Amino acid sequence: MRRILIDLVLQLVAVVAVTLLVAVLLVVGPTRLGGSVDRIKSNLRTIAPTALVLATVLVINGVVRDVGVEMSWIIGVNVTGLILSIEGGFVGGVQSVASPPLTAYFSLIYVFGYAFLLTFPLVIYLLHDDVRPLHETVVAYGVNYGVGVVCYVLFVAYGPRNAIPDLVEPLLYTNWPQSQLLVRQVNANTNVLPSLHTSLSVTVALLAYRFRNVYPRWPPIAAWLAASVAVSTMYLGIHWGIDVLGGIALAALSVHVSGRVETDAVRDRVGDVGRHVRG
Amino acid sequence: MARSLVTPRLRRRTAIGALAAGATGLTSGCLRRIRALTGWQSPDQLSLRIKTLPADADPYALPLARRIAGWFGEAGIDADVLPMAEQSLLREVLLTNEFDLFVTRTPAEYRHPDALYSLLHSRFVTTPGWQNPFGYTNLEVDELLERQRRTGDDRRRATVEDLQRRVIETQPFTVLGFADELRAARTDRFTNWQLVDLRAPMGYLALRRSGDLEDGGKGSDEAGHLRVVSTDSRPTKNLNPLAVEFRSGSVLTGLLYDSLGYRAREGAIRPWLADSWSFTMEGGGPSLELQLRDGLAWHDGESLTADDVAFTYAFLADTSLDPDRDGDSEADGTDPIPAPRFQGRISLVADVTAVDDRTVEFRFVDANPAVVGRALTVPILPRHVWRERTGRASVTGVDIWAATEALVTDNVPPVGSGPLAFADNTPNEELILEAFDDHFLADGPVPGLPESVQGGPAFDRMTLGVVGTDATAVDMVDADSADVTATPLGAGVVPKIARSTALDLVAGQSDAFYLLGYNTRRTPLTNPRFRTALARIIDRRTLASTVFEGYARPAASPLQGTGWVPSDLQWRDGGRNPVHPFPGTDGELDVSRARDLFREAGYRYAKGELLDE
Repeated sequence: MRRILIDLVLQLVAVVAVTLLVAVLLVVGPTRLGGSVDRIKSNLRTIAPTALVLATVLVINGVVRDVGVEMSWIIGVNVTGLILSIEGGFVGGVQSVASPPLTAYFSLIYVFGYAFLLTFPLVIYLLHDDVRPLHETVVAYGVNYGVGVVCYVLFVAYGPRNAIPDLVEPLLYTNWPQSQLLVRQVNANTNVLPSLHTSLSVTVALLAYRFRNVYPRWPPIAAWLAASVAVSTMYLGIHWGIDVLGGIALAALSVHVSGRVETDAVRDRVGDVGRHVRG
Repeated sequence: MARSLVTPRLRRRTAIGALAAGATGLTSGCLRRIRALTGWQSPDQLSLRIKTLPADADPYALPLARRIAGWFGEAGIDADVLPMAEQSLLREVLLTNEFDLFVTRTPAEYRHPDALYSLLHSRFVTTPGWQNPFGYTNLEVDELLERQRRTGDDRRRATVEDLQRRVIETQPFTVLGFADELRAARTDRFTNWQLVDLRAPMGYLALRRSGDLEDGGKGSDEAGHLRVVSTDSRPTKNLNPLAVEFRSGSVLTGLLYDSLGYRAREGAIRPWLADSWSFTMEGGGPSLELQLRDGLAWHDGESLTADDVAFTYAFLADTSLDPDRDGDSEADGTDPIPAPRFQGRISLVADVTAVDDRTVEFRFVDANPAVVGRALTVPILPRHVWRERTGRASVTGVDIWAATEALVTDNVPPVGSGPLAFADNTPNEELILEAFDDHFLADGPVPGLPESVQGGPAFDRMTLGVVGTDATAVDMVDADSADVTATPLGAGVVPKIARSTALDLVAGQSDAFYLLGYNTRRTPLTNPRFRTALARIIDRRTLASTVFEGYARPAASPLQGTGWVPSDLQWRDGGRNPVHPFPGTDGELDVSRARDLFREAGYRYAKGELLDE
């Protein structure tokens, strides 16, 4: 079993790496890659403290996946019934358009598309002269995970595939059972409110729009992918419509916060370029 | 529950509101009218919540609960379904009794009449665990449960039949059906799947390596490795045979811990750790002298003696082993803290003494020897490990009054004497067990035991891997990452198994049934007429054909299929409910007839809603 999981992870890493490479050439362009090593070094130095905070949040997130699930059964509120009473079989409605090609598309988006969407901004903003996009991305990710963890402890909820199996098919797992091994590593089945898939994807899209002057080709791609990820979470029966709305709200919050948080180091380095970009 | 707290408060508020309104035109006539009305507030709609497991944890429980809530809804009840993790469900149902109704599969232990004793006797209403979780108190049933213990043969049969009639009449729970046990197995490494019963530890011992492996087909280290895949992560975290919310059956703990006797296929209890025993009837109840096998050992190398056996029975009866409480005297006014999971069986035992290293003497309560044999199936625990666990359980220094350390410890690593010993675990991922070389089965043929288990397990190592869903579990077996699915699968994956050439579908009739349990401590579930009306509007034939997709048999009695069910309670193949016919056809509820059922039970409707009186 571990063998299959490792294969899956390697597959994911390989696919995302290749896609990143191609996408960097397309979005950044070979001409802007010159002298990138120094830029990367300097950018990394600048955002190191923030990145450390993000890393801490991620570690806590990892721990909470095990401990928090136990804790949320003790102190959390089971809101599955509440969500169901509000939106009913909405996700079943989303699934009514299901077809094998769509299922394949959304499965790939949910796993590979999402992994790409999260890593790509880090790569391209790392290559950029101005550190602010990179810094804001890292801050926004941190807010997403931080708020997400708190919500997961406070709210216990099963997704539609687990709460209304008579109306919603677990499409991801019936069509690609092995993906469950991978998903299980990053999420527990009671952690659905809000959808972190949605919130992080929408965060990336919003930041792509905020910094649209940096890489003009990126915002439309990001928007398309983010919309696909958000729909995929419902189409595959993993999240409720309310989780997705919660995810969008969290994305808006994190992007708002990231625009306000500036470390001294960033402020020193931003100078005129930053102001120009912010328009 | 919040609901029952809120309702009276709302009513009071309504009354106060009415008074306030009345104050504007305060006349003595108005006051008199308000006074006359105070006993007649309009009641709210009756609401019931069904707690159950999510689809990941159980393929049928949630669809069953939702279908039932649908029928209840048509009958005017505000019914909702709440899925919760297995551990939390068992905690709320079996330990804290915070539920209206629950749907789950029972542990496979209710296949003989005396098992109903601990499930339904009113002396267990406050006991945690699968001991009367319904809070059911029926003096007549109590009397019948006691009588079937004492009587033999024909009189016992008549008593058990009466018992079933009374229980079905009053519905402390509703049997929803016996679901077939479905598994996916691959045959290239182990065979025998169709013959063994993987719901019992003996099933794992009876597996055989497939022919080409014995001839050295694959590397021998790989050949001796049984890989099972499970959707239940609890055994990777907790291996305590006494832990109520972590155990749904006794298969894994049964491989780790031996008992004195085992239940043979025909139902009788035969010697396992015991070499032999003999019953004598004298005085109040039967007694038994038992010889242990020679050279028994624990997994840590200590030898297993009669002292361990005597300790186990005293310990399961009172896990605090309070030395001040000698016999019945209450030294400090605190009652014993028994191990809930074994209370039914322990209640048969009066006294156990170690005569010498290998001889144990049992005195039982007044009961038929055929019944008391059950007491010999509890796991035998090592005294040197468990006597350290008699203290009160504490969380950060605060003692929990009702539990001892023994009931809440995760018991990892476990020290048992069973054919498999603990090797390693990764919580939520994996559990590894190894064959125990010093087990009595490993010493060559043991006279008196079935041929299938001779020589011990056909593997040196057993790995239990955890995945999240049935479909993934089947896929793991298909991809040669596992040999068999340990947890029973839902009917939904049968086509997937059938499509794969590598997979065998192993289907067996199940001893465990799905039930809808009622909390008879809560109104209106206190009322047997109300419970019966609920049971009537559950079409179990439709559940069998839709939710179970045909892989289940509907039943009225929990003992269906055991030979103890009288003909008037038998659910014939394809037939209707023999006791509580469904008011409707093919799952379509005849709403007016359903409402009449509740009206006959004394309930009223307003605007199609059943009122909470």
